[in-house]
Amino acid sequence: MSGGIGWVLAVNLVIWTGLFLYLLWVETRVRQMERPENES
Amino acid sequence: MTGLLLRWLLWAWLAFSIAGAFLWAPLAKDFLGQSSRILFFHVPMAWGAFVAFVVAGAWSLLYLRRRSPDHDRAALAAVEVGLVYCVLATVTGAMWARIEWHTWWNWDPRQTSITVVLVFYAAYLVLRGALEDAEARARLGAVYAVIGLVVAPFFIFVAPRLASFTLHPEPVLNTDAELKMDARIGWVLASSSLAFNVLFFWLHRVRWRVLRLEARRGGTLVSGEVS
Repeated sequence: MSGGIGWVLAVNLVIWTGLFLYLLWVETRVRQMERPENES
Repeated sequence: MTGLLLRWLLWAWLAFSIAGAFLWAPLAKDFLGQSSRILFFHVPMAWGAFVAFVVAGAWSLLYLRRRSPDHDRAALAAVEVGLVYCVLATVTGAMWARIEWHTWWNWDPRQTSITVVLVFYAAYLVLRGALEDAEARARLGAVYAVIGLVVAPFFIFVAPRLASFTLHPEPVLNTDAELKMDARIGWVLASSSLAFNVLFFWLHRVRWRVLRLEARRGGTLVSGEVS
């Protein structure tokens, strides 16, 4: 494996992992706001 | 807890597919340099967009039948996520074209057809934004998305095949109905396509729930609050 491809792979994994963690965070916030006590 | 485990399994599946795209799949023959690796992102995004637009049409049909605002929100969420997938398919396609054709864009039939699909669904959002009345917005949006059930398959599958000449590589679903690629490329492509489609359904569900919350609270959610 050439170094260039390794870097592209690493950047890809970092980007998708970041998006994944952000989506997990958003879903947690949505779940909190869906609770009856948080309804306005 | 099971839900969280399933989400981490999806992450592992995505990571596995991405790693396979760079480390395990060989380069496709007749492609310049490493350009064939873009295939593992471009094809799943294009399929994800198509699935999203079909999902939007299905929820819209359900809305027209039952008139539930929640079904309208499901259709809207599908179009929004589908547009993101469609833009990513277009961008990755242009990146590939830059390497193979030495130009980002040359109005190849495939590029033209995806542009039509993009504009069609962007117009769905414009149409909704132009209507004040919520019921009229949902009804017209639903009719439009149902028309999309004909427009999207036509421009994604039929129109490019009617063109007399294209530089686009033979699609996976080709006229000879056979897989014209190395088996490892096929495996990684199938794996990443499935993973990114499962990701679509997760994204769709989250966006749908956000829209539902916004409707309940009567405003746009910004940083967890109602603006």
